[in-house]
Amino acid sequence: MTRGTGPTPKISLRNVGKEFTVRPSKEQPEGSTLTALEGITLDVAAGEFITLVGPSGSGKTTLLDLLAGLTRPDTGQVLVDGKEITGPGRDRAVVFQQYALFPWRTAAANVAFGLEGPGSDGRRLSRKERAEKAREYLDLVGLSGFEDRYPHELSGGMKQRVAIARSLAYEPDILLMDEPFAALDAQTREQLQEELLRIWRSTGKTIIFITHGIDEAVYLGQRVAVLSSRPGRLKQVVDIDLGDRSGDGDVRSDAVFVQHRHKVWSLLHEEVRKAQKAGHAKIRPDGSAPDEAPQLGKGQLSKGQLSKERAA
Amino acid sequence: MTAPTLTKATGGAPAAPPAAAIPAAGTGQIPPPRATRRLASLIRAGARTAGRGIWASGAILLFLLLWEFGPTYLASASTRVFLPPLHEVLRALGSLIAKGQLQDHLAASLTRSAIGFGIAVVAAVALGLLVAWYRSLDRFLNPLLEVFRNTAALALLPVFTLLLGIGETSKISIVAYAAFFPVLLNTIAGVRTVDPLLIRAARSLGLSNFRLFQKVILPSAVPTIFTGIRMAGTSSILVLIAAEMVGAKAGLGYLIVNAQSSFLIPDMYAGILTVALLGLLVNYLLVAVERHFSRWRTAVGSQSN
Ligand SMILES: Nc1ncnc2c1ncn2[C@@H]1O[C@H](COP(=O)(O)OP(=O)(O)OP(=O)(O)O)[C@@H](O)[C@H]1O
Ligand SMILES: [Mg+2]
Repeated sequence: MTRGTGPTPKISLRNVGKEFTVRPSKEQPEGSTLTALEGITLDVAAGEFITLVGPSGSGKTTLLDLLAGLTRPDTGQVLVDGKEITGPGRDRAVVFQQYALFPWRTAAANVAFGLEGPGSDGRRLSRKERAEKAREYLDLVGLSGFEDRYPHELSGGMKQRVAIARSLAYEPDILLMDEPFAALDAQTREQLQEELLRIWRSTGKTIIFITHGIDEAVYLGQRVAVLSSRPGRLKQVVDIDLGDRSGDGDVRSDAVFVQHRHKVWSLLHEEVRKAQKAGHAKIRPDGSAPDEAPQLGKGQLSKGQLSKERAA
Repeated sequence: MTAPTLTKATGGAPAAPPAAAIPAAGTGQIPPPRATRRLASLIRAGARTAGRGIWASGAILLFLLLWEFGPTYLASASTRVFLPPLHEVLRALGSLIAKGQLQDHLAASLTRSAIGFGIAVVAAVALGLLVAWYRSLDRFLNPLLEVFRNTAALALLPVFTLLLGIGETSKISIVAYAAFFPVLLNTIAGVRTVDPLLIRAARSLGLSNFRLFQKVILPSAVPTIFTGIRMAGTSSILVLIAAEMVGAKAGLGYLIVNAQSSFLIPDMYAGILTVALLGLLVNYLLVAVERHFSRWRTAVGSQSN
């Protein structure tokens, strides 16, 4: 798999930074800014599977939102196929941790959701074509026969399969996944990891996969990008070479795997310790940090001053 | 399937004694007691259901009995005039139907409430969507809406009558007014409580604002909107009857008041009975509609489809 060195990388992050304005609180009446990401530069080749790890609050979701085009960077550029992205597009699809299925739609109708507008060639699919595609992609994720089930009638693993099918159905080049398997039990997770690899191999998508699991990151990724604790910077990108992973041996207990795993673990551990020292506990699943405001108030310097200082 | 076994089975500790006794008597005898027991439990279940049914309708039956016999045996002669027994009311109802009067009044009331209700639903859903979508519009309108919402519709009845006369317009308007607020408030609440994750998911698929509204926000708000519509249905009937009592030439409210002033007391009760049944029916229908549109919310609802 070639990477970085090709003519134009599929995705190119150039010195990307993102700040948030923190709402005024009791301790911080005038509000302040929080630097979530800083100076991220990374190229991802077409067809590459890259995983992204980092302590909680390091800006992984923020980075994914930027790639999805849901938000714009404050500094730098996000390029896809050499062109700066201006918003969400059909060349990219997002899979969220909490499935984000439309509960009033059946599994098939959920998968067909992205097919309802005009396609990339401006053509609209007929109802029958959409249903056919939905069935095809549900089949791809191993859910044939569940077309007419509503999300509340499906297990967590099945819901996430539907979500993956929905993302794949409108045939994006890039799959952006934000801790997609975090809410699943270990067995289901392993099974879905396997299937994701299979789908990746057969479709050749470029995949950016965020995870908290070091094992998962090493197992899935061709490279593992480690983010530093806040403000999120690219600490290191670890190349993973596990040889041929398509066999059914237990790759995870391989010496090479253990080595890679340890490497990522040490990198991440440093950052987690730093984050803990900074008093940053686990962030809520919605991305909000309950500890944000008091932490700002107690420090001698506010985050706004800090980042200004850093900029100076 | 003999009577003694049956009583034994339905009695205190049914299962053990017959089962233990039968094998000694011979294998050929085994099936009947089993069937008996099954029948017994069936009867018991049936009795339980029937019992529950009787219990559930008991209050109604008691009430109807009281209505039938109370006036004759308990009330004084002067009260009896104003409180005719049930059969007289039913007879009056029958003759009102036979003469076609009840149908006319019912049609008048239904037309008014349907038009008023329809206008209210369309207007309230549209405004609710706007208010929920545009925060600034909400901040601007909210205080005024609060004032009107908390003003009882009936308090404004004289105003409607003064401005719009006692014709159809004023009645339709007051029904629309009364039905407007429950729908409006529930529409706003429904849109506000759309899961932000779903909006993010839809946005990431590149949906325009309009499509987002049509495909995500509206369907997700529909159950809440229908709760508002159900509430509006009840209050619009209430207000309409009152409005028809004040000034009208047709309608159930008019029938009731007119019968009272013409001293046709059984007719009056027939009108009241009709209003009660109409209210029940409308509520039942709206609950069914609401359930239909919320069926994706619960497992139970979806199975009924
Ligand atoms: N809309 C927002 N407004 C203000 N601050 C935000 C916003 N979104 C994220 N942040 C902050 O930016 C930082 C990075 O958040 P982000 O959700 O990207 O972290 P994460 O790496 O995905 O964390 P986790 O692993 O817990 O999901 C956090 O400190 C968070 O509080
Ligand atoms: Mg996150």
